[in-house]
Amino acid sequence: MKSSNSFNASDMADFDPRSGSVLERALFNHRIWVLLVCLITTVVLGFQTSRVELNASFEKMIPTQHPYIANYLDHQRELSGLGNALRIAVANKKGDIYDADYLKTLQQLSDQIYLLPGVDRAYMKSLWTPATRWVAVTEEGLDGGPVIPDEYDGKAQSLAQLRRNVQQSNEIGQLVAFDQRSSIIYVPLLAKTPDGKALDYSVLSEQLEALRAKYSSDSIDIHITGFAKKVGDLIAGLKQIVLFFIVAILITTVVLYWYTRCVRSTLLVVFCSLVAVVWQLGLLPILGYQLDPYSVLVPFLVFAIGMSHGAQKMNGIMQDIGRGMHRVVAARFTFRRLFLAGLTALLCDAVGFAVLMIIKIEVIQDLALIASIGVAVLIFTNLILLPVLLSYVGVSPRAAQLSLKSEQAEQSGQQRHAFWRFLDLFTQRRWASICVAASLALAVFGFMVSEHLSIGDLDAGAPELRPDSRYNRDDAFLTEKYGASSDLFAVMVKTPAGACARYDILNKVDNLDWQLRSLPGVDSTNSLALLNRRMLVGFSEGSAKWYELQNNQAMLNMITASAPRGLYNENCSLLTLYAYLTDHKAATLTRLVDHVEAFSAANNTDEVQFMLAAGSAGIEAATNIVVKQANREMLIWVYAAVILLCLVTFRSWRATVCAVIPLMLTSILCEALMVWLNIGVKVATLPVIALGVGIGVDYALYVMSIMLAHLRRGESLSESYYNALLSTGKVVMLTGVTLAIGVATWILSPIKFQADMGVLLAFMFIWNMVGALILLPALAYFLLPSKVSEQAANTADKPSVNGQPTTKSQTTVDVAPLARSVSPT
Amino acid sequence: MKIKSPTNGLIVALALCANSLVCQAAMPAAGSPLTTAAMHVAAPAKAVLIDLARAGSRLVAVGERGLVLVSDDNGQSWKQVPVPVSVSLTAVQFADAKHGWAIGHAGVVLATVDGGESWKLQLSGLDAANIELEAARKDLLAVTTAAAVNTSDATAVDEQTLDSTAVDNADLRVQNAERLIADGPDKPFLAIHFTDSKHGLIAGAYGMLLQTNDGGASWQSLVGHVDNPMGVHLYAIAQHGNDWYLAGEQGFVARSSDAGQSFVQLESPYEGSFFTAHVTDDGALVVAGLKGHAFISHDSGQSFELMPVPMPVSFSDSTQLADGRTLLANQAGGLFFSDAKAGAALQMFGKPLGKPVASLVQAADGSVVVAGFTGLLRLAQPSTAVTE
Repeated sequence: MKSSNSFNASDMADFDPRSGSVLERALFNHRIWVLLVCLITTVVLGFQTSRVELNASFEKMIPTQHPYIANYLDHQRELSGLGNALRIAVANKKGDIYDADYLKTLQQLSDQIYLLPGVDRAYMKSLWTPATRWVAVTEEGLDGGPVIPDEYDGKAQSLAQLRRNVQQSNEIGQLVAFDQRSSIIYVPLLAKTPDGKALDYSVLSEQLEALRAKYSSDSIDIHITGFAKKVGDLIAGLKQIVLFFIVAILITTVVLYWYTRCVRSTLLVVFCSLVAVVWQLGLLPILGYQLDPYSVLVPFLVFAIGMSHGAQKMNGIMQDIGRGMHRVVAARFTFRRLFLAGLTALLCDAVGFAVLMIIKIEVIQDLALIASIGVAVLIFTNLILLPVLLSYVGVSPRAAQLSLKSEQAEQSGQQRHAFWRFLDLFTQRRWASICVAASLALAVFGFMVSEHLSIGDLDAGAPELRPDSRYNRDDAFLTEKYGASSDLFAVMVKTPAGACARYDILNKVDNLDWQLRSLPGVDSTNSLALLNRRMLVGFSEGSAKWYELQNNQAMLNMITASAPRGLYNENCSLLTLYAYLTDHKAATLTRLVDHVEAFSAANNTDEVQFMLAAGSAGIEAATNIVVKQANREMLIWVYAAVILLCLVTFRSWRATVCAVIPLMLTSILCEALMVWLNIGVKVATLPVIALGVGIGVDYALYVMSIMLAHLRRGESLSESYYNALLSTGKVVMLTGVTLAIGVATWILSPIKFQADMGVLLAFMFIWNMVGALILLPALAYFLLPSKVSEQAANTADKPSVNGQPTTKSQTTVDVAPLARSVSPT
Repeated sequence: MKIKSPTNGLIVALALCANSLVCQAAMPAAGSPLTTAAMHVAAPAKAVLIDLARAGSRLVAVGERGLVLVSDDNGQSWKQVPVPVSVSLTAVQFADAKHGWAIGHAGVVLATVDGGESWKLQLSGLDAANIELEAARKDLLAVTTAAAVNTSDATAVDEQTLDSTAVDNADLRVQNAERLIADGPDKPFLAIHFTDSKHGLIAGAYGMLLQTNDGGASWQSLVGHVDNPMGVHLYAIAQHGNDWYLAGEQGFVARSSDAGQSFVQLESPYEGSFFTAHVTDDGALVVAGLKGHAFISHDSGQSFELMPVPMPVSFSDSTQLADGRTLLANQAGGLFFSDAKAGAALQMFGKPLGKPVASLVQAADGSVVVAGFTGLLRLAQPSTAVTE
């Protein structure tokens, strides 16, 4: 290298180790200590990683602070069968359920499930539980008993008796399928096993699979649905995620090597990013957190962000070494030049993730915290450890030379690479205008599409899983054979103690019951009022003419006394009105919630209050409301944080606008993409846009900070942008493409949720990169007029004018206000 | 007629509305079903429907919560019509294509003069109770006066006992009527029979029986003229010329041979309840009820013959087909017909429907429409399914 450097690689002696910020001196003058501390930390936390658990919790998935859920949790003890439950349909492939062998298997399976840890045994229900009863009208009045007769012996007589009992039990469509070829074991679950530990869904799911394998035969088929099974399947599927991570890491490494041609530095960058993941995972058990199916993506995101920053650091050092500097000096200069930009970007990421904490759903708050920890860890591993390590090992000389190829080519008067010339077009009026206009059009189009973004689940079953997954096929089976009663919406009605059977109160319940049944999406209902109608018919020898909620308190009291539990609580102060829905689509739930809200507004008094909401659909409705509100709120906060940090870094509102607008365009287009891919905003997908902003801001910060420094030195926009491209811009391009390829492999995941995430993240990696490289300079053309006149800018294009190579490494120091004290020599 | 004003409920609703953000629907508070119009529902033909009737060629169905549906295409499609109450309606009948009445819970009587398009409340439970109380008091006064005259005459001891029994009965009736008023309008009318647009009888729970001779403008109590000491529910009214029959709970059957002015209890063939009664064209009385018990009498109720049936399931309704046969329905959806040529035994009419039937009627095109807990069902041309 011919260039005349003020710091020659050979003479470290010329470098004043006391130069640089306090932080820089503290770190680089005690490099051994830095390494030692990092080593110890890595070992300690590395041991902790073995304690990381993968689990999920029903309670964490719901917004516990929302009034609906608060109502539900307040009365949880008095409501049975409204929370987390499994429904296990046992089907007889060879005939109907009135079959001695079938019933024997059902009994055995039922007994085995009864013994599983975490099962709420008191409320478990199947044909074999005594709570399953029948009622019939005779000349003497009402008669009833357990559905499976006490004297059941499996003979034809008993089976015929059972068939009659089932038909009189009101359980067809509930416990027994419409076609009577399968019946359900209903298994409510406790949040904690008797030993006080949180229910391990992964283990439970494996136990259920073992039972399924044991009892499935050519005559018995078993279908299992419920939150616990869904999460169990998700966790089982996510264990493969490790494979996808490894593939993504390999791809990233290979591409990085292809770019740098330096084994040492490539491995170092990957190593430091992995150290960050180890630290993060090690911190989780110490802080009492665990990974769940939704936060399991976070370690990969941390790795991705780490790669992005690490590659920037490595590139800076590589270029400085290429210019002939000593590796220590190069590391320190790169640290000076990029630490603040990197820190700001990581702080942006961390704040972006931390903002998710405002969403009062624990699983998202956990994710926010885990991601923030990971990003904070990156400050140490990739902004500090990496340059320090590089200052020891350096880079291969060939790679160092290679990294300056463009710069040198320009100095030697060669034409710029065609691609750089293409990108440079966007710093000029014509293309900048076209680009801004096109972006505006895209933004408007994207916004219009994103208006159709739905909240909540759009498909039946578990949208996190593939439509043809075992779980979704089981869910479809239950929906088809039993009506859609797994989507249960419950309204709680609070009454004075002992007054739950009062006519005026039941009349209100009866009204709401009837109104709900007229709503589209409501399949059927159940309430004490409805039971009164049915029982009055029963007491009147089955005459339909008595199908009425009679204003006769004595009769109401008598019927209530014999009502099954679930419709009212022990001290008769809480009624439950159940609506069985045909689906759990957002529109159905919204309609229902709006109606019940209007009803309760009109009917609540001091004595009687209609309260939302319990049941799977009720909880989902509340979650949807929280998610919908959080969706906008979260974006506002993320952007507020990003804008603030950009203002601090750039000290220029114009530069901030240039950096943030491309991110906003990406956010809008990402929502449009979700509409197009039929992905609704829900707990699982809510964080993805905030994560996208967090990652995208890195690119904008790295490009803008270098460009701004050159502009402030009076260079033309075109020249400044070109300089930014050669130093940080090409790394932005590299990481954007690499990470996009990495996450794009997730599309092959058996978990649909992960595949969706792969698409969305790949889109955001690419589009944020495109935004930073095309839209950012185009906006800068309008917002950041160069101090040099247009005329001068044009001449500046010629490399000879501004070709002072010595300035390259020095001027960029301006970028960091922290490092401003360091005067370029 | 006294109907409680719904204004109070509305004021409460509006007051709540003012403080509430969720007031887009301006929904009124749930009021008494006696003063609340029936809600318009999305799929009324799938609701609980209790009784069916013909109004000319139109079919009319009534059911839960004030539902009244009409069909002008022999039961293929149904339309809900507005009704001023939302109590369950138990029976409906038309004297001609235009004039009809529907009765139901809380003692309501609704009348239509336009073939069922619109309905007006004619009577409610408290009015009925007042009519009965007035009648009972008048009766008590009459027997007490008669007894006083008899006592002063100091005639035979036998006659005195008779008088005191009559006084006791009349006194009891007054007490019962007073209790009806105290209970409020909670008791249903269960059966209706009009012979023309002026004259009709309605019967109900606890032996209530009212008659009108002016199309429902005014009603008179017949409770004192029915031999129903237990006050059992009256589920069915049947009529043939001047012979009228009542059937009800606990095997109650009574007959009137004076155009329904007074009824004498008949000796019952069964202790279980009868839910339906029907007189064939040739004057034979069919009563049917609990647990598959159906009887026919060819001598105006003097003797009954069992009509054996293979299903021990309660009969709920009966109707006469165009060809003169009687069709009975039971609570398991079994349909049976009686054919004089085949003797007393009931014949199965097609396969059981598998769902409870509360009422049935034959449409103008010969199809049979059934109503019940799962809504309405049309059996197209069922007569072709039956071999004769």
